[in-house]
Amino acid sequence: MPYHEFDCSTCIPERKKHAVVKGPGEDLTSCLPLGYLNTIPGSISERGCAYCGAKHVIGTPMKDVIHISHGPVGCTYDTWQTKRYISDNNNFQLKYTFATDVKEKHVVFGAEGMLKQNILEAFKAFPDIKRMTIYQTCATALIGDDIDAVAAEVKEELPDVDIFVCNSPGFAGPSQSGGHHKINIAWVNNKVGTFEPEITSDFVINYVGEYNIQGDQEVMLDFFKRMGIQVLSTFTGNGTYDGLRSMHRAHLNVLECARSAEYICDELRVRYGIPRMDIDGFGFEPLSISLRKVGRFFGIEDRAIKIIEEETAKWRPQLDWYKERLRGKKVCLWPGGSKLWHWAHVIQEEMGVEVVSVYTKFGHQGDMEKGVSRCGEGALAIDDPNELEGLEALAKLKPDIIFTGKRPGEVAKKVRVPYLNAHAYHNGPWKGYEGWVRFARDIYNGIYSPIHQLSALDISKDEIPTGRGFLTARMLSDSSLSDDIRNSQVLKPYDGKFDPIAGLRAKTYPDFERLARTASAAATAAE
Amino acid sequence: MDDMTKTASPTDGIVVGGLAVPIDAVTHDRLEQMVDYIMKYCLWQFNSRGWDRKKQNAGIIPRTAQLLCGEEIARETPGDRYYWVEAVSLAEAYRERLPWLADMTREEIKTLLQRLHERIDYLTVDGSLNEELTVPHY
Ligand code: SF4
Repeated sequence: MPYHEFDCSTCIPERKKHAVVKGPGEDLTSCLPLGYLNTIPGSISERGCAYCGAKHVIGTPMKDVIHISHGPVGCTYDTWQTKRYISDNNNFQLKYTFATDVKEKHVVFGAEGMLKQNILEAFKAFPDIKRMTIYQTCATALIGDDIDAVAAEVKEELPDVDIFVCNSPGFAGPSQSGGHHKINIAWVNNKVGTFEPEITSDFVINYVGEYNIQGDQEVMLDFFKRMGIQVLSTFTGNGTYDGLRSMHRAHLNVLECARSAEYICDELRVRYGIPRMDIDGFGFEPLSISLRKVGRFFGIEDRAIKIIEEETAKWRPQLDWYKERLRGKKVCLWPGGSKLWHWAHVIQEEMGVEVVSVYTKFGHQGDMEKGVSRCGEGALAIDDPNELEGLEALAKLKPDIIFTGKRPGEVAKKVRVPYLNAHAYHNGPWKGYEGWVRFARDIYNGIYSPIHQLSALDISKDEIPTGRGFLTARMLSDSSLSDDIRNSQVLKPYDGKFDPIAGLRAKTYPDFERLARTASAAATAAE
Repeated sequence: MDDMTKTASPTDGIVVGGLAVPIDAVTHDRLEQMVDYIMKYCLWQFNSRGWDRKKQNAGIIPRTAQLLCGEEIARETPGDRYYWVEAVSLAEAYRERLPWLADMTREEIKTLLQRLHERIDYLTVDGSLNEELTVPHY
C-alpha cells in the first residue's frame, strides 16, 4: 500500500493510513486511504460537527423556512452567513438566523418551555412563514429535551404551520457527514409523502444534493426548464419545504452531491421505486453527458442536445482562452467532500491544469475511490488532514493555486499560495457552461494576480522596487504563448455579466405540449 | 491517458475475484481503456454498498454489451429504463472512443464485456479496500 507519512505526523502514527500517493501500477485495490473515522487525538482537524452538517449544509438552504437551533447561541452564530446558498425569495434563510440561546440554568432545569416560547415568537415575528426546522445541539441532546413533543404541541396550537425536527447533535458522528446522514434519513422518514404537489409536466424530477451556491441550482434549473422538465424539489438549495415533502411523486432523482445526499436517493429508490441517477454538473463534457442522460430517460434527448450545442458554441471559445493560459499549472484540490471527484479529472481535461493532490475533510472512502480514480499518477490523496500536514504538502508540492475552504485557504495565503474558495466560490456560479468559464476566470485571476509580486517581497529585508510598475495578469499569462494563441480572433476572455442569475429569474420558458394532454385530445377528437 | 487500472503488465493478465487470469496483451489493453472510461466519466459503479455496486454493475454492463451487439433492451420499469440510459451512454462513448470495437464480432464483444464486468466487480467490490461496503444500512 503506497501510504504517505507526513514528517509532522510521525508522532501520530495512525495518520499514516490516511494519506496515499497514487503511484504507477496502483489501483483501487491497492491505493486507498482510510476515511470517515473519528479524528485522531493530537491531530487538529478542519472538520465541522454533525449538527453543522445537518443544519448549515443541508437544512438551512431551504428557503421558505424558519431554521432554529436549540442550543447555545454559538452553535448557530459562528457559522451564520459564511455560506453562500442564495435563494430567489430575497435570501430569507440567509438573512435571519434563530437560536434559543440555552444557558446554564436551562441545562439544570430544562429548556423545553423556552424552546416553545421561541417557536411561537418566531412564527409571530414572521407571519408569512409557516414552516420551521428545529435542530438539536450537543447541550440539548444531553439534557434530554424532547423537541418532537414541543413541536407537536405547537402544531396543535397553530394548525397552519408544519415543523421538522432534526436530532443530530454535534457528537453524532465523526464529522459533518454524520449530520448529512441523519437529516437525510429523518426527512425521508418524517416528511416525504406528507404533501401532494401539482404535477405540471410529463417529466418530473427531484434535483438532489444541490445547494445553490451562488446560483448553481438556478443555472441547472434553467436547463431543466428549457427541456420541459418539472423540478418538483431541490434537496435543498433554493428548495421549498413543501416541495421536499412531495419528493415521492418524482419520476427520477437526479443526484449531484452523492456525499451529502445519496442516502435520501437510496431510500426513495427502495421505498418508492424512483431511480437514482448520479450526474456531474461541472465541466462541459460531464455536464453534457449528464443532460443527455436525463433527457434520454424521458425520451427528450433532442431537447438536451439543442441546449448542449447552443451553450458549447457560446462558451467553448472562452473556456479555451483560459485553458491556454492555465496549461500545466499545479493545483491542490482540497475541498470538503464531493468536489474532489466532481473536478479531479475534468479540470485537467478542460482547463489544462495538473491536480497534484486531492483531499477531503469529511468524505468517506467512497469519495476517495472516485477521486483517486479520476486524478493522475503521482497525486497525493489525504483524508481529514490537519493544518501542519497541509503546510507540509504545500511546501513539497509547490502548487500554483489551491481550491479549499476559507480556513485552510487563509493558511495557504500566508505561505503565498493563492486559494479559491471551493465551498462558497469566489465569483460563482461555477456550474453550467458559463459557470465553468467563470471558474476558469477565477483560477486565472488567482494565479496571475499582480498582488503576488508585492506579497512575495519581505519588507524587512527585500529591496522594494519603487522605480517600476507591476506586470499585469495579461503580461504574465501571455508571455509564453505562441502568437497564434495570443492574437487568436476566436478565443476570448469571459464577457458574461457580473450577475448571471438575475436574468434567469426573469426568464420565461416554452410551454411544452404534455403527452397526457395530447393523448386525451386525440381521444376526444376520435369520439 | 493516465489511469488507475493498470494492475499488472499485460503478460501477467488481470486480477478477477482475487485470481490472476491470464489474458493476451491486446485484450488487456482494451480492457484497461474500457475501465478507464468508466472510472473517469461514470459514477454508477460507486454506490455506497457492495451489494448495490454489484447490482449496478450487473444492470449496466451486460446491457451495454447488448447495445454494442445491436440488441434491443426492455425498458418497461423505471429501474430498467435507468439502466438502459446508463448503458446507452456507455455504449455511445465506447463506440466513439474505441474504434477497434467496430471490427469485433458479437461473440468477441460479449466475451470482452463479460471480462469487463468481472473486472469492475473486482475493483469496486471484491478487491475493494472500502470498509463501508458491508455496512447493513444506507
Ligand atoms: S459540537 Fe455541539 S456545541 Fe459545538 S457547535 Fe456542534 S452542536 Fe454546538
